[in-house]
Amino acid sequence: MASPTTKDQSHIEIDDINEESQQITEKDIVEKDMAPLPGSSIHRSSSRPQLDVSGAAIQGNFEEKDPAILLPNQTDDISHLALDIGGSLIKLIYFSRHADRQVDDGRKRKVKERLGVTNGSRRSYPILGGRLHFVKFETSKINECLDFIHSKQLHCGGMDPRCWPSDAPPSENAVIKATGGGAYKFADLFKERLGVSIEKEDEMNCLVSGANFLLKAIRHEAFTHMEGHKEFVQIDQNDLFPYLLVNIGSGVSMIKVDGDGQFQRVSGTNVGGGTYWGLGRLLTKCKSFDELLELSQRGDNSTIDMLVGDIYGGMDYSKIGLSASTIASSFGKTISENKDLEDYKPEDISLSLLRMISYNIGQIAYLNALRFGLKRIFFGGFFIRGHAYTMDTISFAVQFWSKGDAQAMFLRHEGFLGALGAFMSYEKHGLDDLMVHHLVERFPMGAPYIGGNVHGPPLGDLNEKISWMEKFVRKGTEITAPVPMAPPATTGLGGFEVPSSKGVLRSDASKLNVGVLHLVPSLEVFPLLADPKTYEPNTIDLSDHGELEYWFTVLSEHLSDLVDKAVASEGGTDDAKRRGDAFARAFSAHLARLMEEPAAYGKLGLANLLELREECLREFHFFDAYRTIKQRENEASLAVLPDLLMELDSLTEDMRLLTLIEGVLAANIFDWGSRACVDLYHKGTIIEIYRMSRKKMQRPWRASERKNNIRKVVDDFDAFKGRMLGSGDRKPQPHKRALLFVDNSGADIVLGMLPLARELLRRGTEVCKVYQYDPSLSPSIYAERFRFQRSTIQNFMQVVLVANSLPALNDVTAMELPDIVAEAAKHCDILRGAAEAGGLLVDAMSNIQDGYKENTPSVPLMVVENGCGSPCIDLRQVSSELAAAAKDADLVILEGMGRSLHTNYNAKFKCDALKLAMVKNQRLAAKLVKGNIYDCVCRYEPAS
Amino acid sequence: MKFEGLPSAVYISVWFDYYTVRDLPKEEAAEGSDMEVKGIDGKLEKSDSTSADEISHLSIDIGGSLIKIVYFSTNSKCSTNDEAPTLSKERQEVPYGDLNHHILSGRLYFVKFETSKIEDCIKFLSSKKLQQCGAQCHHSHAVDKIKIKATGGGAFKFADLFKEKLGLTLDKVEEMESVVTGANFLLKAVNHEVYTYIGGQKEYVQIDQNDLYPYLLVNIGSGVSMIKVDGDGRFQRVSGTSVGGGTFLGLGKLLTKCQSFDELLELSHQGNNRVIDMLVGDIYGGLDYSKALERNDSSHDVRFGKIGLASTAIASSFGKAISENKELEDYKPEDIARSLLRMISNNIGQIAYLNALRFGLKRIFLGGFFIRDHAYTMDTISVAVDFWSKGEAKAMFLRHEGFLGALGAFMNYKDESTDSMPPQLVEQQPAKRSSSCIVDRIHNSTRVHENENGATDCRLRVSSSFKIYDEVKRC
Repeated sequence: MASPTTKDQSHIEIDDINEESQQITEKDIVEKDMAPLPGSSIHRSSSRPQLDVSGAAIQGNFEEKDPAILLPNQTDDISHLALDIGGSLIKLIYFSRHADRQVDDGRKRKVKERLGVTNGSRRSYPILGGRLHFVKFETSKINECLDFIHSKQLHCGGMDPRCWPSDAPPSENAVIKATGGGAYKFADLFKERLGVSIEKEDEMNCLVSGANFLLKAIRHEAFTHMEGHKEFVQIDQNDLFPYLLVNIGSGVSMIKVDGDGQFQRVSGTNVGGGTYWGLGRLLTKCKSFDELLELSQRGDNSTIDMLVGDIYGGMDYSKIGLSASTIASSFGKTISENKDLEDYKPEDISLSLLRMISYNIGQIAYLNALRFGLKRIFFGGFFIRGHAYTMDTISFAVQFWSKGDAQAMFLRHEGFLGALGAFMSYEKHGLDDLMVHHLVERFPMGAPYIGGNVHGPPLGDLNEKISWMEKFVRKGTEITAPVPMAPPATTGLGGFEVPSSKGVLRSDASKLNVGVLHLVPSLEVFPLLADPKTYEPNTIDLSDHGELEYWFTVLSEHLSDLVDKAVASEGGTDDAKRRGDAFARAFSAHLARLMEEPAAYGKLGLANLLELREECLREFHFFDAYRTIKQRENEASLAVLPDLLMELDSLTEDMRLLTLIEGVLAANIFDWGSRACVDLYHKGTIIEIYRMSRKKMQRPWRASERKNNIRKVVDDFDAFKGRMLGSGDRKPQPHKRALLFVDNSGADIVLGMLPLARELLRRGTEVCKVYQYDPSLSPSIYAERFRFQRSTIQNFMQVVLVANSLPALNDVTAMELPDIVAEAAKHCDILRGAAEAGGLLVDAMSNIQDGYKENTPSVPLMVVENGCGSPCIDLRQVSSELAAAAKDADLVILEGMGRSLHTNYNAKFKCDALKLAMVKNQRLAAKLVKGNIYDCVCRYEPAS
Repeated sequence: MKFEGLPSAVYISVWFDYYTVRDLPKEEAAEGSDMEVKGIDGKLEKSDSTSADEISHLSIDIGGSLIKIVYFSTNSKCSTNDEAPTLSKERQEVPYGDLNHHILSGRLYFVKFETSKIEDCIKFLSSKKLQQCGAQCHHSHAVDKIKIKATGGGAFKFADLFKEKLGLTLDKVEEMESVVTGANFLLKAVNHEVYTYIGGQKEYVQIDQNDLYPYLLVNIGSGVSMIKVDGDGRFQRVSGTSVGGGTFLGLGKLLTKCQSFDELLELSHQGNNRVIDMLVGDIYGGLDYSKALERNDSSHDVRFGKIGLASTAIASSFGKAISENKELEDYKPEDIARSLLRMISNNIGQIAYLNALRFGLKRIFLGGFFIRDHAYTMDTISVAVDFWSKGEAKAMFLRHEGFLGALGAFMNYKDESTDSMPPQLVEQQPAKRSSSCIVDRIHNSTRVHENENGATDCRLRVSSSFKIYDEVKRC
């Protein structure tokens, strides 16, 4: 346990860092553990400068504890609903508007002013964020679908989400967009049951606009599937058209798509999903599509199909390129044998049937692609539904007939093309302008709700939850099974099914493939990325099974500790414990699911995994598990900050920079995401650890030793120093604006990054001072200079702290930072002036220091949120605030493992970039820097 | 053309006709129930197993489901035929002046067996005097040196069996090559070999031999091969599908308990695929379809006009078997057979058309035993080709559909020693009865040719010389 500074006197033992330490007493630990500080939230502290709290809307929500309402989304407004009523399935998409958290906020306004961003420059969207949900029902059980719509009041949405009062009765003229044949068939039923009219949308049109949207807006949508290996394909949006869209429903449609709204149905076949299921039912007595698919996995089609080898006595017909195992005639072997249907294994029949149909579709699709010179073939529709063997067979057919020239690609939202398209046919659906970076996909577990209100008991302990789930699933069974997709009524539920690990081939592989799409129009691509197209956030590729296993183990082991923290953060109530349990189960289920099929939720990187954990915590209403710890560490660190600053100020410029970088690296040891470090915390106080860490830190930084050091520590400090201080007489051009991506709370931010920020501010101030006073100048010239100086300062030296929007582990958030800075500013003029100039000290401070402001123009220190709630950062999706701040920035400093090692280690920037982190994981150290745990990375890359 | 090295060409007079088991005298039927013989002369050889037919050349095509045999017999019985006088006269007219052409009078027989009943085939062959063939080929009566031309996968698989049981060596001829050679021969040499089948109307197509190539040959056996043919011996297997005759029979057997192809075809006649297939109309409102139309007329026009699907078009084969709570037993075998037949025929037609389109081939010829002259099959394939090509391409069928490979292998004898049988059988005389060409109504019969004296009167000349073609043209 980390402890407040009052425990300084206790002795510590930090094996890995310091042999001289002594053991901490049991009592100390107990005391620390027993001393939670409920209600001492940093935001409530009146002793601190007044915060602008308007932005804390979410924080306020976080504090609410209503044990009875534990499920998310209960306040969602339903605004749009679209249906695709097919021959066997009803696909339903609905949009729920999310509570707008873009509350106007004084700090943000100030920041925007500083950054020269006006609200007008932001595009205005018909919808300001929300969620797209994907649900399926069996057509034959349409009443269940109607019930679902009714209970969630989905049909009341109408055309304009903002005009719709949540409790108003459905208007007389309510219209639902729908496509698929059933839109005709069930129009009367909808009118009768729900009082709404169905507005039919052209099916092909819907398929195409749905596919176009998915291919453009969702990053990990299209993938190839060869020999059981799934690989996501990066779609170049400028080179998307034309393509062939093959929609495999009951029958198969093949559509040549030339652009938005430009398409032509060029072919199709009546041998499709309906054929598979229909023939399969007749031949095997299977009760569901799922069952039939499941059967096929255990089948051996060589007992049914006549293979080339059968005809040629085991030989290949190599002259025409047919191997012995090629199917010469599907079901051909059943001709000659005196066997009845009962004599064949249903498994074999199912597989044979599946191969026949998949292969045939693949072939016809390829021939059509060839005919129109189309390079890309996308397959969608319910027949595929993520079934590995189906995809493999189609891929094989395309590959075989094209001799490798063409590749079959599949879509993750395959079954929802039509429904999405119908959704898009609303005049103001708001999806038109959405780009890839505006969408975040989440895979909620604990969203078992029917209707607009929460039904059933709250999520509790495992048994309670599971029994609830079982009950729900049983009810859901009536709704959805036996359907091809057989998902529970919401897409998020599948995760609770214990995955039946049966190798790579899973029939239900698509169950969790589709999450809830969060539309966040304010997200943007970080403008300083050298090449956003090739940018890959993750350093560690989890498609390597070894890596995957390792990180899964790490996360699993860390889980119980995390749950403890989370429960404690919520006051350790019974309710919190229940939720903690549920979280653990849910996250474990996610892990198990991903372990089985890493690409189930899209391309999987470590960053995604870490973010999933945070999302999962939030889902169970743990909004800030480390709140207490962060507070204590901040306080403890702030207490020793003045001493540190004094020490720093006594150093020369050269030494100071080195000491600061060392300090950043040393302080980065405080990371609750690192197992090794958590172990340390149990043994020492924050300041002790920091000192030990720094002491150790000095070794690789001694110039004489650095080169001979066996460890391959990444150390570009000299290059960075050269850039900052110049060499000899050459003074380098100072940076205009520095973005500092900060990591952890406590020592990391207070003793590490803040002093570094202060140094940058000081340098900026000194640049300003050049202009400040020159007695030889006439007053008029001075005034001109001064004006120039003001603008120069604003244009040239700004320091922006970039922090998380939402809590993740013990990372400091943008919400907390102003507080911390304000506290630090009490002891430091530089920080105070800068914070004031940057709008961080809104009320009290600026009044007090009025005179100061007049005399010394200050370099502003600002805080922006990064748009993330993860320990890592995907720079393709950052807040518009950060994107705006990045516009004139010419120095990026990424700090901490999550943001500079796990992600972005290899990222290239248009500007100078410094990546600082202590490697707190042995495996990562070995992999990245061929070093050991606690080695440090100081990677400096000048603008490329 | 130089004929010096060639001893002779053989002129044969041949009647083609089709016989099935049903037409056989009872004792024949009993003997080999699944044997089908396409003989000449409107009459089957009665004494298959006992007569002293002199089979001079025999070729065999052993496929996955069927064994096809073509043999040439100099049996003199043909002269006893009713029509013999005519034939004799014609035969006497035969020599066109090439005195060194030896005329062999005989018949070309077409026989088939199920591959699973290869024992019957062996029994049949052992009853024939195949030595003649060997003698001609090698001037040797040594039993173990007798070679017969064989093609198909079974030529490899059953080579040992033939050696053991009959002492025959199977001289393997490449399968695709055989099929192409056989087709080329038929297309060039036999009049009224090709016909289209549209809307129940069978129409013979005159093939312009100068504008024959390239064409797409679709050979539907157990599986389907699609071959682009550019000329004699110039071809490429461009595609194929595993959904073929074997699939029809295989699935059909599992679903209907039918035991034979013909039985299944027969069943399909009486079936109604709407019971099982999901039609476009089923999706768009099923029985209420017309109501839907009333309600939304304009939209309907847009929709169906755009997609081009009639409400009776099959949206999903067997798609209706999904939604109804019926078991296999609840469906009529007839309906199943019909649905199956349509599915497979339609699919073949589509893939064939796509391949023809791909290579810019105007003509698509369909052969192989799947078709069997079966009206509904041909109709479905024709409709598929017509539908997808928007009327631009036509499916054409070959009367000797099933024997392409065997015929091709037969032709292959030219490559043997110098005294071999010449390679080209050339039908010199157009059928007399072209005017009375049989046009069946689809639903009346599966066999177009089986009745009447549908014998096509033709003379085949067996020659090694391409010059023959010139002569043919002169005829």
